[in-house]
Amino acid sequence: MSENYGIIASFPDTPSFFHAAEKVRDAGYKKWDTYSSFPVHGMPAAQGQPRSKVPVFTFCGGLCGFSLGLFLVWYMNAFNYPLIIRGQPFFSPVFPFPIMYELTILLSAFGTLGGMFITNLLPQHYNSLFNSEKFLEVSGDRLVIAIEARDAKYDSAETARFLEEIGGTDIEEVSA
Amino acid sequence: MSSDTTNSKGSKVGLIALVVGVVGIAIALFGFMQGWNNDDARPLMSWLIGFAFWLSIAIGMLFLTQIWYVFHARWPTIIRRQCEHFMAAFPYLLVLFLPLLAIPFLHENPGLLWKWMDGTNALPGHGTVGEDPLYTWKSPFLNIPFFAIRAIAIFGVFIVISGLLRKFSFDTDKTGNINNTHNARRLSSLGLFLCAVAMTLGAIDWFKSLEYHWFSTMYGVWFFAACMRAALASIIILTVILAARGYLKGILKQAHRYDVACMMLAFTIFWAYISFSQYFLIYSANIPEETFWYNIREKNFDGELNSWWWVSMGLIFGHFLTPFLCLLWYKTKVVVWRTVGISIWILAFHILDLYWNIVPGKLVAPDHAPGYLVRQFSISIFDIAALVGIGGICIFAMCRSMKKAEPIPVRDPNIQTSLDYTE
Repeated sequence: MSENYGIIASFPDTPSFFHAAEKVRDAGYKKWDTYSSFPVHGMPAAQGQPRSKVPVFTFCGGLCGFSLGLFLVWYMNAFNYPLIIRGQPFFSPVFPFPIMYELTILLSAFGTLGGMFITNLLPQHYNSLFNSEKFLEVSGDRLVIAIEARDAKYDSAETARFLEEIGGTDIEEVSA
Repeated sequence: MSSDTTNSKGSKVGLIALVVGVVGIAIALFGFMQGWNNDDARPLMSWLIGFAFWLSIAIGMLFLTQIWYVFHARWPTIIRRQCEHFMAAFPYLLVLFLPLLAIPFLHENPGLLWKWMDGTNALPGHGTVGEDPLYTWKSPFLNIPFFAIRAIAIFGVFIVISGLLRKFSFDTDKTGNINNTHNARRLSSLGLFLCAVAMTLGAIDWFKSLEYHWFSTMYGVWFFAACMRAALASIIILTVILAARGYLKGILKQAHRYDVACMMLAFTIFWAYISFSQYFLIYSANIPEETFWYNIREKNFDGELNSWWWVSMGLIFGHFLTPFLCLLWYKTKVVVWRTVGISIWILAFHILDLYWNIVPGKLVAPDHAPGYLVRQFSISIFDIAALVGIGGICIFAMCRSMKKAEPIPVRDPNIQTSLDYTE
């Protein structure tokens, strides 16, 4: 374990913040992030982030819901306690469709919510960045880029110089 | 590319479309006359399918245009203009509907296509249409004069509203008058209701009344869903072609295509929801007056699965499941060839959906034997001729309109937002 969490740098306005992010991406850093109190359009692309993995969780949730609905109706109406209702067959994909369909939607929504938590690494009650007084101002008007010490390219002197070069101010090492 | 070369290219395409259209119409009319002379309804249905396909695209675009106005949608401004061009086809579609409207007035058997139009038409089993209590009950609505009045009124609504929307939009190009946009919005708020009623009546009159015996309260919504899917798929194909030909090059962005494709996904689900709900309600109620409509689309009188069963399965898996799964993927919505591919797929299955809704029917068995025959699935040369012919005329109408106005609404108050649009 290194004793430092990483280095933070602040940026005076959104355009320089945005372009600095592009430069950090192009410099080849992987373990870093941008922090602002408002969403910046196009920032995921500027950070070089791939598309979100949440849809995969949604799809799996939906598939589980559909199968669960199918199994539920087959198990109850055709296997465990066969009942004749309105002369319909014990099991058919037609009449229980609303159940399959509603469960698909319900579990897709759960999958989306769960996937969002998992891919965002939530819940996370503590982050070393909170050690920095300046970082706390991100909830106000500060725009911050933080490069973490666990990045392979990280070198405290070199990275600090790099952040200054791309326009960062108030450069500060944050203890772990 | 200068607008002159684009224009001359446009008129060339228009001329080709006109020639193809006239040839197609000529072949389809030949089939139409054969059906007319031989008392055979099937070639008339070719015409009805071709007419329904292109009408559904035009109606879908009319709805989309009005929905975009009502919701003050800024991003589709450049796409809206292409819809306005296509809506020029409505008057031509009215003319192309006249042969069908002539059947009840000029043919010796007025009920050749829509069998309720002739009370002496024999029904499968026993009796005639005139003796059928269900027809007697429905006759205040289903009678020839009212049918003709409705047809004219329905087209009146489509032609007047689309004409006014086109006039407002084209006038803004010249004068920059912002009141045109306000007027178009006001008209759309009313027009959506009028078009919804007109479209529902059209679907009931022209497609549903082919089996006048049947009941369904969801038929109009089904046709709405089908129209929207057809229109959205056509918009993708049309705008991509226009972008490739230099007409919308650099103007049509990934974001526009992505959003239209998202709507395609939404309406794929909506179509399935409506189509299934219609089936599900009739399945649950299990009333013979309603279930027969689905029975003949699955089985013959002897209980054997017939050709329509395969078409039905094709619709479930081809018209819903495949586009649904494909459109869930982000790549399908942004990679041009994939989006165009799925659009062509949807249009092809939309035609199959129209076949499925129009062609099957209960026919009197030979020598009035008990039971009935089902008119089976078939694709005739006249189906293709009608689809191509009527399409040629519609595309000719669109190209003619394109020569009259700018490729995009250059002075529309929302044009900059649409040009700058990003995901």
